[in-house]
Amino acid sequence: MIEVKNLVKRYGTFSAVNNISFEAAPGEIVGLLGPNGAGKTTTMRILTGFMPPSEGSVKVEGFDVLENSMEVRRRVGYMPERVPVYLDMTVHGYLTFWAKLRGMKQPNTQVNQMLERFSLGDRRNKLVRSLSKGLRQRLGLAQALVHNPPVVILDEPTIGIDPQQVIEVRETVRALRENHTVLFSSHILSEVEQVCDRVIIIHKGKIMASGTPQQLAKKYKPGVHLYVSLSGRSQSEIRALLESLPKVDNVREQAAGFVLSSRTDADLRADVSSIIAKHQLTLLEMRLVEVTLEDIFLNIVDKR
Amino acid sequence: MRAIRLIMQRELAQYFSSPLAYLIAGAFLLLTGVTFYSDLNFSLGVRPVEPALIPNLLAQVMIVFAPLLTMRLLSEENREGTMELLLTAPVSDGNIVFGKFLSAWAYYTFILLLTLLYQFILVNIALPDISHTIAAYLGIWMYGGAALAVGLLFSATTENQILAAFMATIALLLLYYGDSLGRVVASADLAYILFNLTLQGHYAASFAIGAVRAEDIVYYAGLIVVALFIAIRVIESKRWR
Ligand SMILES: Nc1ncnc2c1ncn2[C@@H]1O[C@H](COP(=O)(O)OP(=O)(O)O)[C@@H](O)[C@H]1O
Ligand SMILES: [Mg+2]
Repeated sequence: MIEVKNLVKRYGTFSAVNNISFEAAPGEIVGLLGPNGAGKTTTMRILTGFMPPSEGSVKVEGFDVLENSMEVRRRVGYMPERVPVYLDMTVHGYLTFWAKLRGMKQPNTQVNQMLERFSLGDRRNKLVRSLSKGLRQRLGLAQALVHNPPVVILDEPTIGIDPQQVIEVRETVRALRENHTVLFSSHILSEVEQVCDRVIIIHKGKIMASGTPQQLAKKYKPGVHLYVSLSGRSQSEIRALLESLPKVDNVREQAAGFVLSSRTDADLRADVSSIIAKHQLTLLEMRLVEVTLEDIFLNIVDKR
Repeated sequence: MRAIRLIMQRELAQYFSSPLAYLIAGAFLLLTGVTFYSDLNFSLGVRPVEPALIPNLLAQVMIVFAPLLTMRLLSEENREGTMELLLTAPVSDGNIVFGKFLSAWAYYTFILLLTLLYQFILVNIALPDISHTIAAYLGIWMYGGAALAVGLLFSATTENQILAAFMATIALLLLYYGDSLGRVVASADLAYILFNLTLQGHYAASFAIGAVRAEDIVYYAGLIVVALFIAIRVIESKRWR
């Protein structure tokens, strides 16, 4: 159970989190969705007892993070954004250390269970240093779960790992739902949609919207995005051509090309191909873009 | 208590698997060995052996070695982000600092014990004043603890090991030679007071000549407490930032 009421966190005079309130109940996966700098990490760090709130009340399993920090910390499992590890420990040693530090007397069974669950069993005696990014991510999850905490807080657990591993992590998180209260952060809309029961969108430290993924998708998910990079004409001429396409609602420059957006679910690829043929352009690259919340915000900002 | 022990054990294991720690232990033994050998050669037949020889050498050597032994203890946690996990574990900041400190002091004690080897050799060839030697070892053990506490304090302030070692060395140099300031202003009273604030002031004038005084033990213990207390405050202040 997580209860956050009128939480404010200031760094100096800057409010990174500005008066947010929400709750998360056992058996529920709640997603914190927001672009970089929204205040997700800050919120989570307060919930885990890493830093105190500037204002407001924050309770975990009924314990106040300021008054009962130790009780809160005993009940939380946390995976920070960067997945910190001790490079010179073995995989087994690393998990055992955290399990014991979190109060388990004889953690061996649980540690072995975790190693099995995250398919790290064959690497139990390998140094953490030798693990790939994806495996470290699994180790980070195991570290957060080994003491079976009622509340699990995961800060962008799918950042920087390959798609197969992302799917595994998402499945793991979904499986946690039964026995835990889970708070999960991400800046990818589609991911939160798949994983969470409830989503809270934050931006610049404020809650912009919250609700089930279905409710939010309807409101915020903007059709299709396509990245194209063309040559053969000047970039501004290409832009004009792309903008002239009837189904394209928005064209935004990105890297060496443009991101086209359509609010309908239309397939823009055929339209782009026709332009290429008609004006004898060369196609350098074309791919569908995963919609991030950042894109949506950029889009809104662009249009204003 | 349990958390202190867990953190200390982890760090000790790190020491015994770290090449740098072995290098330091090796340099320790080499330096003390060479000094011991040349002193022995020189003194035989000319003057009695110096019972506090090795502790006296270590008093200066620790200005460099204490920062090297402690530089990574907290700075690495800061850099790797593991500090965030430690600070969200049900462990007080004091336990973290104390566990780290005890690991460094224990490792130092281990190398110090190794140098006792020379003393055993000595007992067999000369007749050193054993109580003098024991006093000097007690002194340098406390002194080393204080130097390590100062090193740990600077390790808490930064993510950069080299910077931590550098700042700690400067601080230890000041603590060691601070009384030279008194000589500069040419005031005997001030010089006396300053001398009694320095690391060497509580070693050279007492333990080194075989005298164990309560005030010296209190001085080093006090320095340990103050340095660790500030280190805890430094960590706390990171939470509020
Ligand atoms: N220790 C800090 N000191 C000052 N500003 C910070 C600190 N940590 C984060 N911020 C700022 O607070 C805002 C929110 O950051 P953060 O919570 O990390 O966002 P998110 O995790 O959603 O990307 C950002 O503008 C960031 O620059
Ligand atoms: Mg973040």
